[in-house]
Amino acid sequence: MAKKIQENSIAFQERSSWFKREETSHMKLGSILLIGYRNISMNRTRSILTIGGVSVGVGIITFLIALGFGVQDMVIKEVTKNNPENVIDISNENLENFVVLNEETAGRIKNIDGISAVEIRANIGGKFINGESQTDSVVYGVTPGFMEKANSNLERINISDFASSNGVVVTPRLAALLGYENAQDSVGNEVEYQAVIPKDIRKEEAASNENTENEENNPDSDSNNETKNIEKKVGDENELISKKIKIVGIINDASKADAIYAYATFQMLKDQYGIVAGQSGKVEINDMEKISNARSQIEQIGFVTESVIDIVNDINSFFTIVRSVLVAFGTIIMSISAMGMMNTLSVSLLQRTKEVGILKALGAKRTDIFKMFIFEAILISFSGGILGVLGGYGAAKGINLLVNTLGQRYGINPTNFVYVPMSFLIAIATFIILLGLTTGVFPARRASKIHALEALRYE
Amino acid sequence: MSEKNREVAIKVQGVTKNFIVGGREIPILYGINFDVYKGDFVLLVGPSGCGKSTLLHIIYGLEPPTTGTVFIGDEYEWSHTKNWRANFRNKNIGFIPQQPFWIKSLSVIENISIPGVISGMSFREAIQKAAKLIELVGMGEWADHRPYDLSGGQQQRIALARALLLDPKFIIADEPTGNLDRRAGEKLMELIRNINEQYQITILMVTHNVEQYKFGSRIINMVDGVITSDTENKHNVKAIREFTELVAEKGNEVPNIKKTKRQ
Repeated sequence: MAKKIQENSIAFQERSSWFKREETSHMKLGSILLIGYRNISMNRTRSILTIGGVSVGVGIITFLIALGFGVQDMVIKEVTKNNPENVIDISNENLENFVVLNEETAGRIKNIDGISAVEIRANIGGKFINGESQTDSVVYGVTPGFMEKANSNLERINISDFASSNGVVVTPRLAALLGYENAQDSVGNEVEYQAVIPKDIRKEEAASNENTENEENNPDSDSNNETKNIEKKVGDENELISKKIKIVGIINDASKADAIYAYATFQMLKDQYGIVAGQSGKVEINDMEKISNARSQIEQIGFVTESVIDIVNDINSFFTIVRSVLVAFGTIIMSISAMGMMNTLSVSLLQRTKEVGILKALGAKRTDIFKMFIFEAILISFSGGILGVLGGYGAAKGINLLVNTLGQRYGINPTNFVYVPMSFLIAIATFIILLGLTTGVFPARRASKIHALEALRYE
Repeated sequence: MSEKNREVAIKVQGVTKNFIVGGREIPILYGINFDVYKGDFVLLVGPSGCGKSTLLHIIYGLEPPTTGTVFIGDEYEWSHTKNWRANFRNKNIGFIPQQPFWIKSLSVIENISIPGVISGMSFREAIQKAAKLIELVGMGEWADHRPYDLSGGQQQRIALARALLLDPKFIIADEPTGNLDRRAGEKLMELIRNINEQYQITILMVTHNVEQYKFGSRIINMVDGVITSDTENKHNVKAIREFTELVAEKGNEVPNIKKTKRQ
């Protein structure tokens, strides 16, 4: 049989070179997309419902994710605003291993590899008295470097002037409690501060001695002459010291608008109250890779360390859980959309069996038919996806605007809590293409396997 | 011109076809042999169910023969891949099915351009070719309509234009007038004959409408899967008509039918 075919073929070749034998050609992508687009346009209601299903699914996911990322971003920004990542907070909260941050321990910490600076903060409790107004308040005694690392927002004085001053900066709320309706009016005035100084951070006999020295060194200081100093023992451990101090500025931290505290230089507390050590401080890291090692060494000395990275990690962990729940919800929603899409494409295939048949009869290849259905599915999922992303993001932005508008009525500063990271956009674009591929692949495979004759006979 | 001097376009040799239905093998074609020459307008005639369409599908490359060979030019289609056959059909053979199926979402002129699009042309290029053909079949004013909005006769004219798009060497038509009224059928047949004569396109067409026999240059008769006669039309129109009427009246009982030996 094969031999006979070959003989016939040779005989025919001599007589006929009549037919075109070009390379196997395929339909252009543009043509395939046009046919897909026309089919989607023709079945308008069905297409709108299917694309709508996808866009609602993608829209809900985008909405939730935009809010999830946005709120996370907002929280992290608030937390890290005054706490750079390369600064570790240290404190002696560990009562079983009580240490103080004095020059000696600060020096030991500074010698640890990866640490560039150590700033001390002493916290003293006491009472501010201004005429008939008085209020309890903490005074933080800090080094100038501490103020810089804390990104403190000072008014009426800059950090370097504050560092050389002998006064305090107070919060607006504290100024108000001291009788200054406008916090700015308090600047330049002297108030009395009665502090209870723990024995552990006070140099014995230092305050009175140094105070005397100060008076000798500053003969022009009227305030010192008029200072009514009270020094008495409070129990065995603490000592009550009262001094007149000058308000030199306002510390205005938007996140702690109602807080009551004051900052003084560590040097001033040392001079006036005899404080030589702090309970906490800030440590600057110059090599972030060594932060973990540096922290463990500081902890070995006896301090508790806290880094904003811990908080950021906690926040991230929390929002990862939130996002996982959102993704689970989104997956359920998208599964429903995907089933709707598959149903549409299957029905579309059934309705177009004859079309597939005639295309194949006229010379279309399996891959052409496969591409036609796959690209139609991708067109549907992409249209739905783009509408969904825009809709979801728009809805989230709308809610942001609404909340800000309402918030401003109650004096809350407007903030942005809607954020869509580029990674999400890439993920959603990949997801949309995958959705088109997975929902389109079965109908497309079925369509490509349809035999031209079966389709032409199909009723 | 004697057959020896004419070039063969299609050579059908010993073609049989069996279908498996419900586990049983049903023979449809019993060893078909004939040649189609370039420029022929061959009418393949016979009663319903005699295997005309099956034979046409085998020649067109949609269905393999159980045994036997079909050469199109010098190519034995079934020795090639499916994609090769599809490509060969697309580039060389025009096809007019009994019902001219359409891509519903496309306009008339876009449907005519489909073979070009399948061959890798853009719609724009293919439509430029289709624009000339739609005028040739006299349907220019319907270019932007949907094909299913047209009458049966109009749709078959469009199907003819579609079959002509890639300048085929021959056209296979499976009873294109089957669903048309007499007048529309006659008009379509005239159009096909003109194309055959003007452009020397070989045509192989199935019909069982006796009145259309006058259009063919050659009539091949089939009954029950065998060729019973193969005649040049100019000499035998009357005889064929009488014969076919007889077949229609008496079916397989016609006494002078010489069946080829069944396999």
